[in-house]
Amino acid sequence: MKPTALLSAAAALTLASTAQAHFQLLYTPEVMLEKPGDIDLALVFGHPMENSHSMDMGQPEAFFVVFKGEKTDLTDSLEAVDWQGPGDEPADAYTATYKIRRNGDYLFGLVPVPYMEGAEDVYIQQITKTIVNKGAMPTGWNEPLGLPTEIVPMNKPYQVFAGSTFTGQLLSEGEPAAGVECEIEYINSEIDLEADSFSKEILGPVPSTAIVAITDDNGLFTFGIPRPGVWGFACLGSGPDKEYEGKELSQDAVLWINATALE
Amino acid sequence: MTHLKAYSMIRKPFLLMTTALALTLVLGATTAIAHTPLCSCYDNGDGTVLCEGGFSDGSSAAGVGIRVLDADENVVLEGEMNEYSEFEFDKPDGDYKVVFDAGPGHGVEIAGSDIVE
Repeated sequence: MKPTALLSAAAALTLASTAQAHFQLLYTPEVMLEKPGDIDLALVFGHPMENSHSMDMGQPEAFFVVFKGEKTDLTDSLEAVDWQGPGDEPADAYTATYKIRRNGDYLFGLVPVPYMEGAEDVYIQQITKTIVNKGAMPTGWNEPLGLPTEIVPMNKPYQVFAGSTFTGQLLSEGEPAAGVECEIEYINSEIDLEADSFSKEILGPVPSTAIVAITDDNGLFTFGIPRPGVWGFACLGSGPDKEYEGKELSQDAVLWINATALE
Repeated sequence: MTHLKAYSMIRKPFLLMTTALALTLVLGATTAIAHTPLCSCYDNGDGTVLCEGGFSDGSSAAGVGIRVLDADENVVLEGEMNEYSEFEFDKPDGDYKVVFDAGPGHGVEIAGSDIVE
């Protein structure tokens, strides 16, 4: 075998495992609302860019929305569903509906129960945020929610333009977390909230290795958004909890943003 | 209100700009001009209507004038946004519209038919 062929073979093996990052989804189709209405949310733990299998979620520890500083518990609105991935067995996931009426920023937060990743023998807990706006009125999209670890957006998360950049600040117990690796993906499938499923087809390319940014001394990272879509950032192991039920825990911070073309 | 103050000092070239701005606002109510006035109204379902206002930079609309006009453009109600940037009024019979008036070029008009529960 030629050395180049060997190299490609080795690369293929490595790539297969690295480009596949876990991402806790907290998805809703419309993040900039003009009129009052019910929004549907899907809570799914998957591999959105590869569009491979989804993992079973347990009953979330917390699910809430903060509007103008007021926190509303939404755990009672959760409905357990079988989420259908592109091919494999369905996974345990949740959906919810929330009525949005008044103008402003709605900051949704999800604290899932830690998930046992058998392949790595570690627990993963991805504390996740998604921000929705009604009526174009900004009322605190850049306010931290006081989560154990979280990404605070430095650009309006519901209105990012493809070709521009997005900056986030990673916090751990409210303090900037430096030197943390953040993985970046986009949702690479159509999401059908009627059928609780990802499409079989993917929407765009899957990079050959994971997209990564490292937070600076102030916990900041910046990423140029290359294409429209729903982009997620998962900063790994930034949370204060390092152990769960006697095993290693990776307590991660996830933030979702929506990028559109400025046309 | 800084907007009103700014307007009182307006000179002629600015008047043109203001007109252009007003046109833009009419054509695209939610376009992203710095300091765009924002106003949304809701039918409370109990014979009253609630309007909330603000500006695109997040600033309050407390004290901003608001008028309710009937189909013949007669003012049937006049008031101002309260400390929470809100204004509540009894829903008029027949067609009406709400004018959120933060000064020339800073107005929002909402037709009563667009105000739903």
